[in-house]
Amino acid sequence: MKNILILLVSFSYLMLNAQSSGTLTLQFDNMVGNEDMVLNTKNYKNAMGEDFNISLFQYYVSNIRLMKSDGSEYAVPQNESYFLIREQDPKSQTVTLNNVPKGKYTGIRFVIGIDSLRNTADISQRKGCLDVGGEAKDMYWAWNSGYIFVKMEGTSPVIELNADRKKPIFMYHIGLFGGMGDKKTLNNIKETKLSFGSKKLKVKDNTTHYMVIKTDASHILNGSTNISIAKNPSIMAGPFSAKIADNYNVMFSFGGFAKSLNTISETKTAMK
Amino acid sequence: MKRNSIFFFLIFALLAFISFAFQVKEGESLFLKPSNFPEPVYDFTKNPLTTEGVALGKVLFYDALLSKDNTVSCGSCHQQTAGFTQHGHVLSHGINDALTKRNSMPLANLAWFKDFGWDGGVHHLDLFAVSPLTNPAEMDENLPNILEKLRKTNTYPVLFQKAFGSEEINSERFLKALSQFMLTMVSANSKYDKAMRNEGVVLSESEEQGEAIFKQKCASCHSGVLFTDLKFHNNGLSPASKADLGRYDVTLLEEDRLAFKTPSLRNLDATAPYMHDGRFGTLEEVLEHYDAGIENNATLDPSLKQNNRIGIPLSMDEKTKLLAFLKTLNDDDFLRNDRYAEVSQAKDPEADKYKDVDWEKVDLQTNSPTIKASFKKAWILYTEIKNALIAENGDKASAAIESLFPIFNDIDKTAMTSMQRVFFQNVFNDLSFEMEHIADTKDYKHQRDHFGDFSKHLFRLIKAFKTHDKPLYYFHCPNAMFKRGGYWISDTEIDKNPFFKNDKDCGKIKMVLLP
Ligand code: HEC
Ligand code: HEC
Repeated sequence: MKNILILLVSFSYLMLNAQSSGTLTLQFDNMVGNEDMVLNTKNYKNAMGEDFNISLFQYYVSNIRLMKSDGSEYAVPQNESYFLIREQDPKSQTVTLNNVPKGKYTGIRFVIGIDSLRNTADISQRKGCLDVGGEAKDMYWAWNSGYIFVKMEGTSPVIELNADRKKPIFMYHIGLFGGMGDKKTLNNIKETKLSFGSKKLKVKDNTTHYMVIKTDASHILNGSTNISIAKNPSIMAGPFSAKIADNYNVMFSFGGFAKSLNTISETKTAMK
Repeated sequence: MKRNSIFFFLIFALLAFISFAFQVKEGESLFLKPSNFPEPVYDFTKNPLTTEGVALGKVLFYDALLSKDNTVSCGSCHQQTAGFTQHGHVLSHGINDALTKRNSMPLANLAWFKDFGWDGGVHHLDLFAVSPLTNPAEMDENLPNILEKLRKTNTYPVLFQKAFGSEEINSERFLKALSQFMLTMVSANSKYDKAMRNEGVVLSESEEQGEAIFKQKCASCHSGVLFTDLKFHNNGLSPASKADLGRYDVTLLEEDRLAFKTPSLRNLDATAPYMHDGRFGTLEEVLEHYDAGIENNATLDPSLKQNNRIGIPLSMDEKTKLLAFLKTLNDDDFLRNDRYAEVSQAKDPEADKYKDVDWEKVDLQTNSPTIKASFKKAWILYTEIKNALIAENGDKASAAIESLFPIFNDIDKTAMTSMQRVFFQNVFNDLSFEMEHIADTKDYKHQRDHFGDFSKHLFRLIKAFKTHDKPLYYFHCPNAMFKRGGYWISDTEIDKNPFFKNDKDCGKIKMVLLP
């Protein structure tokens, strides 16, 4: 008898739980200015008037939170809140958040990069896209232990060649999480906050909602500091990296809701 | 029914408790905190040591499969007999002999450290191995490739199963196993430790005076029983032409320019050369540096410019005493303990069979012409080394030793019985330790410190295998090797003393070996 009761209670709990949440799929759309990003073949120009193309573009998004008008928030569970978006890998650009509680949301915020806690976490907490022996192998500095947050590489004819630089390649690898303990380093962790404007995200039971976030890579080079590729073809863990992080702080924007993934790609083609 | 289940529950609880208690026991025997040490920093609850985990870590540590061209292992740059540094190399050699930026670091007492590398760029031991594995100058391989290589072997899945319960090979398990092995490297049995723990050993008067000088002049940085404050300082080395900015590269703070991690001073006898770029070959040079060689620049540690004087004033007498004290930090037990020794050379599968054999009493004579030929060549080289030391020519002695390695490494083991082979391996482990020391320096004085034991072990081999067809004379000079006494071998009854030029009379024949 008792057993049946327990069964009933847990069943109804499950039902309730299932009923009170939906799914949100985020589609990250990498762009350069108003154009869709195309690797290798397409030419772009930065604010300094320098031509370049992009061979690699990837970044971490983490600690996603959905905001409500009353100031409360839904935080995606910590362990499920790390994503590595790679331009070469279309699958990585779709991020699915399950069990988002039913409700009306007015905006989203997330960290560009990896929070300091996870940057210093022990190896058992570095799974999936954080696995230094797996997906994260090219997004991790082993000698100055920490994740690379945003990475863009490409070529530009303005880069002068010399003994150390045999190809006109630029590399922008931006990381540094502030260090730990008495080890203080530069802190390039940035948080982005996007409002849905007049629109609201109404999460319904057992429903999947779709949303586009645009990532404009031109902000890596253009912004409060306009970066000259010729002068700075390689920026990594040095002080100058802070300028780029300040620039890319605004590279994300809200790109609207969609009814399905198909309509997302339609919106995308329409935009081109 | 009910009573039954309680009974089973109790049994289960008991079993669980026993296995837990056992595991704690096992972990303890693998890592024992020395009573004179503070609590370790490493969180063992996240990576509890097990016999199988440590064993796996050791195999990985010595496996060159971890490098791109399968030539370099962690053990290549971290050799036990060199206090887990790289013998005789100023900057470590990695793949294709590419030089790394820095001198290899000694590995000992890592469980007490919180930052790793000369610049402290890595803040967890488990993560350190990613750095040599992916640094092009070091092992030049990336972790996913290594894991894939390990998965494809026959042996590793089994070893991972034993250590972690399933055959899965992933980054976490791989890195934790390496840490498990490295964590067992505890050096705490030096004379200093034993005296500190009142284990019937006392420091001599000059050692004690050395300790007092050390406490006063060095211990602000080389503090505590680890001999490091775990912090970063600029100790006044003049920056090399291609400046390594040290800690600055990590923190980008001006004050950290040219600061490096304070190294522990344990096992200094084995870990030469010294400093992050290996610029000093001897401890005398190090002391000279602190006394008179310090360069004053903006970030020089304030403790090194007191009372309007740059550096730490040290008189000759103080230097001698400091050196005597530093010697008390050498831990032979650590440098020679089999549990850390390279797997391939340490264990002959039949070694255990002969572990109770009294080698003095068994007949190991060989009739193999190939083995005899090897010993003949070895004897010629031995005579060369001895004559070089008599002539005080360190270069020549070192060169002759280098040619001796291949002769013993390539000796025809197929012509040995299993008992001969086990004996040979045992003695050769000791012999090669001394040989490496002689090869590593060109300083005949230091070579002489190893020549006595080198001769002793070679004599053991010749005596057992009976390879010499003329009489041999085994000499002993009690004044040699800091009065520990030193041996040498000769084929004439009268011979020059290889330890001293002036002390001709020191040296008596202890034994004549007849063919
Ligand atoms: C090519 C030589 C080389 C190889 C191979 C190598 N190391 Fe090292 N090791 C070094 C050097 C050089 C340093 C100092 C690094 C620095 O400061 O940049 C070091 C430092 C370390 C440290 C830090 C010690 C401390 O006190 O901070 C650890 C731990 C370590 N190595 C473990 C390993 C392991 C594990 C492997 C194998 C996976 C390995 N090493 C392979 C040369 C090497
Ligand atoms: C200001 C702090 C400080 C003081 C005081 C100091 N040291 Fe050091 N010591 C260091 C640092 C930092 C290093 C490593 C420097 C480097 O490699 O760039 C070092 C390196 C060494 C080394 C080389 C060890 C190795 O493994 O390479 C020895 C030996 C040494 N010190 C001995 C001494 C002695 C003896 C004294 C006292 C006369 C002393 N130190 C005083 C900070 C200090």
